[in-house]
This record gives sequence, structure tokens and C-alpha cells, in this order.
Amino acid sequence: MKNRNRLLDAVQTPAILIGLVLLAAVVGATGDVTTARVATLALVSVVFVTGLSVFSGNSGVMSFGHVMFMAAGAYTTAYLTIPVPLKKTLFSSLPGWLSWLADVHSSFPVALVLGGLVAAVVGVVTAPVVARLSGLQSGIATLAMLLITYNILNSWTEVTRGSSSMIGIPRGTTTWWAFGIAALAVLVAWGYRCSRSGLQLRASREDFWAAQASGIAVGRHRATAWVLSAFLCGLSGALYAGFLTSFNVNGFFLTATFSFVVMIVLGGYLSLSGAVVGALAVSALQEVLRRFQDGQFTGGNELPAGVADLIVAAVLLVVLVKAPYGLMGVRELRLPRRRARLAARAGADARAEEPVGVS
Amino acid sequence: MILEFLINAIGLGALYALLTIGVALLFGVLGLMNFAYGELILAGAFAMYLFRDQPWPFALLMAIVFAVVVALVSERLAFHPLRNADPVTLMIASFAVSLALQSLARMTVLPRTRGVPPERFLSHRVSILGADVSVLDLVTLVLCGVMLLVVAWLMGRTSLGIQLRAAAEDFRMAASLGVKANLVIPAAFVIVGVLSAIGGAVLVARQGSIGADMGLQPMLIGVVGAVLGGMSSLKGAALGGFLLGAATALLESLLPTDLIAFRDAFLFSALIAVLVVRPQGLLSGAKVRVS
Repeated sequence: MKNRNRLLDAVQTPAILIGLVLLAAVVGATGDVTTARVATLALVSVVFVTGLSVFSGNSGVMSFGHVMFMAAGAYTTAYLTIPVPLKKTLFSSLPGWLSWLADVHSSFPVALVLGGLVAAVVGVVTAPVVARLSGLQSGIATLAMLLITYNILNSWTEVTRGSSSMIGIPRGTTTWWAFGIAALAVLVAWGYRCSRSGLQLRASREDFWAAQASGIAVGRHRATAWVLSAFLCGLSGALYAGFLTSFNVNGFFLTATFSFVVMIVLGGYLSLSGAVVGALAVSALQEVLRRFQDGQFTGGNELPAGVADLIVAAVLLVVLVKAPYGLMGVRELRLPRRRARLAARAGADARAEEPVGVS
Repeated sequence: MILEFLINAIGLGALYALLTIGVALLFGVLGLMNFAYGELILAGAFAMYLFRDQPWPFALLMAIVFAVVVALVSERLAFHPLRNADPVTLMIASFAVSLALQSLARMTVLPRTRGVPPERFLSHRVSILGADVSVLDLVTLVLCGVMLLVVAWLMGRTSLGIQLRAAAEDFRMAASLGVKANLVIPAAFVIVGVLSAIGGAVLVARQGSIGADMGLQPMLIGVVGAVLGGMSSLKGAALGGFLLGAATALLESLLPTDLIAFRDAFLFSALIAVLVVRPQGLLSGAKVRVS
């Protein structure tokens, strides 16, 4: 009985989260084209925010640079899956040492995995910085990384097409692909959270100096979480590219960063459930606001562009003031019934023990 | 030739120092890394656009009014309720304020970039000691230089400045010695508003256009300069901003043309390096705990 309870304890949160993700996927798979699009992009966001949460949730350090991993995954997918003839015309002036980029080709699943791996490599390169910094300095450093990435992607025109869009990526991502990867991301994130390294990292989140004094190599665990989250965010980038079939470098800049930050802060950045719930809720909110802005609720009167952004920003500010740790705080989603039963039993036990204590 | 370069570099350095102080002041007093700073600059720049037909000094005055009002309103609505929050929460909040102000601008007055006709007198060129210098560079230099002197006087010689510096040093201690939070924090926002309005006016004159996202670049310059100089002291921050401006002018004239596009990548790599190697800033002597 005790073992079964422990097993239930270990699997109930990821099971509930995957259930939520499945719900979103089913809504997407049964709805019309727009619904499917919104649901799939919401699932891509779930993958990303889950990845971000692997780092931020466990270490307590906010990152503003994770979109660069998404960009790495998306560009890798583009290089690998755009048909070779089209690629030859898109990248007609590749520098010599990169000319092999025009000839490589692979299927979408391979590109997906490689996209994650390339992002992980970027993560390995940047990990030493993250391992050393905390708090605001880490925030600024990760933002600087994003700015560097953006600058390179935007200016290295021969290789990245600069500010022109990347086009002609075959549609590889379906709603079910997105669901599968999102479920995988939840499992990986939960697994890391419960692992030895994750536990030590969470200890350092609660009290940095106490953790260090207890012999926890905080930097090393931060780096581990950083690389793992880079991999997951790379996957989300590959899904994103494979779903939209074209993307622009401006999709991987401050607007995207801000929208993911809203998701993770609204949900609660210290909890995995918060990340998943926040990603789904904010995706839904953004879609509602988009329709509102297009005038679907106000009888066709289009509102000026920017209304949606303004409302999202206002929502974020209210959340920051009223509940700085988001909807979930440090809690995870659990089965409510069980907790109630446990509480009832604990109450019964206490009553049973009372006479013993008195005598 | 060298004199032209010097005036250009010093002018840019003074402008960057101005921008940097605006970021460093709020960081020192509030622990707020203010990403909405760019939108204050936008508010000032918008006033320059709105009053483009009026005399330039009047437009400048209105720019200061606009930026100060926006700064005070944002303090009241967003940062006042978060006064005891940790720096990262404040930083996220300032992200939100920045986005909100930007979308407001986009919704109402600036759906797209607008040109601002250059002031006639700014495009003149004069010759000083044989060098051919544009009035714009001179005005940049003089205006930013004077502003820096005013800030230095304000911080060093007035009671408000001493209170501000005390608050930046240790807010709780200063508060218990009678420094009023409700006085110094709005005062800091007013100063920042004035600084950003001057910066905005100079930027409009240099770029000749305004757009809803024009605040991003100067805001980043302010952040980089403040980190380089060490965020704890205003003097260090001003020097950091100045060196950044001079280095930018130098990079632009020294870098090979095909690398100029990557200037920002170089700058931000340097920023990360400074953060990792000397988190207390290049120019600050103080030890800062890496945490």
C-alpha cells in the first residue's frame, strides 16, 4: 500500500499535466483549421515553457535568452528539411566552408532531434556564463545572449537570409507530433526535477549559500539544467518551424521572449504545473484577445493593433503585484480526492490517538 | 580630421553617458533595471515630433514635460505597488510597462514610423580650428555635457542629491534616518524623465524619424553602459556610458565594413565577459558578491 502510494505520488503530477496537454491536442484535432492552428502552437509553447521551466523553475534564476535555443532548433530544421533545389536558390551565396549546408537533407523527425541537439550545443557553449551568475546579472547576461543571437541571425545574410523570411519548409508538425513532444517534455522535466541533480538545484534555489555550504556544486547543476532546457527549447523551435513552414528572425526576439515570460510568470515559474498551465492559459488568452482585436466580439469593429499586447502586459503587471509566484506558486497539480482522504484519515488518526496522549 | 572624430566621439560618449545615468539612477535607488526607459525616450521623441513646427527649445521643453509625466505615471501605476519586490520581478514588470507603453503608442499615435524634418540650424556646418563640424554634433556635445554637469551638481551639492545617493547606497538605512521613500523615488523618476527627454530629443535630431520601437536601442545602450561601469555608482556608470560611446564611435570607424553589422554582437559579448569576470563593473573598486 505504501509503495503504491509512493508510485502514485511520483506519477500523478506528470499524468495530470499530460492529460491537460492531451485535452488541448484533442481540441485541436477535432476543431476547425483555426482551432487546430491555435492548439498546435499552444502545444509548441508548452514544449518551450516546459523547457524554460527545467532551468528557471529548478534554479530560481530567470532567463530571458531561451528564445535563442528555439531559433537554433528552427534554423536547423530549415536547413535540413527545405528541399535541396529550393535551398540552392535560397542560399545562393553560401561561404565556401558552409557550402555543405545546401546539400544536406533529412526527414522531419531527424531534423527535430538534430534541432534539439544543436540547441543543446549552443547551451553547452553558453553554460559557463550561466553557471557563474545569479539573479539580475544572469537576467542581463541571458538577454545579452539573445541580442547577440539576433544580431548574428539578422546580419549574416548569406547564411541565415537575414531579415528575409525562411520559406519552403515542408509541413512536418501535426497536432499529434506536437502533443507527443509536449508529453515527452513534461516527462523529461518531471524526471529531472525528481532527479538527484534537480533536487540539489532546487535546494540551491531555496538557499544558495546553505546549499553551497552543504557541498552542492550549484554551478554544475545549473549548467546541467541549462543544457537540458536548451535541448527541449530546441525541439520546440523545430516544431515551430515545421508547423509554420516559414519563419522570420523577428519571431525569435523580444516579442516572443516576452510572451513566453508572461506564460511562465502567470503560471508560476517555480512549478512545472505552473509552466504547463501558464502556456495553455496564455495561448488561449492571446487567441481570445486576437479575436477581440479583430472585432469578432464587438460586432466587427476592428480595434487598433496593440490592444491585445496592452491587455497582456496589464495582466502580467496585475499578476506580478497580486501573486508574484503566479497561479501555482510552488505547488504542483495533484489529485485533490486523495489529499482530502488523507486529511480525513489524518484527522481520524489524531482523534484515535487523543485518549492515548491524555492518559 | 582627428578633431572631427574627437568631437563626434566625445559627443556620442556624452549622449551614452546621459542614457546610462538614467538606467543607473533607478537601479541604484530602486534596484530596478528599467526596460521601460526606452519608452520614456519615445515619449520625449514623440513630443519633438508633435511640436516640430514650434521653435526647437519649446519642443525640447515639451519633450521634458511628456517624458516626466510618463515616468511619474509608470512609477505610480506599476512600480509603486512593487516597491519591495526582488530585482528580477521588477525587471519583468518593467518589460511589461515597456510593452504596454509601446502598444499604447502604436495604437494611438504611431502606427508606423514617421519622419521628423531636421531643424534647419542643426544641419549647418561650422568650422572650428580648421575642422568641419556639424552643428548637430556640437549641440549633442554641449547639451549632453551640460546635462551631465547639472546631474553632477544635483547629486553632489543638493540635499535631494545626497538623499538620493544615500538611498542608492542602502535604502533601508536611509529610510530609517529620515529619507522619505515617497520623495526620493518620484524624484528619481523625474530626473530620469528629464534625462530621457534630452536623450530622445538628440536621438530624433540624429535619426530624423520616430517609431514605436525606437526606444530599444538607447535602452540597451543604457543597460550595457551601466553594467560596464558598475551599477552601484553613478560616476562609474557615467564613465562606463562615456567609454561605450567612444568605443562605439571607434569601432564604427575601425571595424572592416563587413563586420560593422555585427557591432552589437561584439558589444554584448564584451558585456557578458565583464559580467563573468568583473561583476562589480570595470570601473568600480567595490567588491560585489556574485549572487
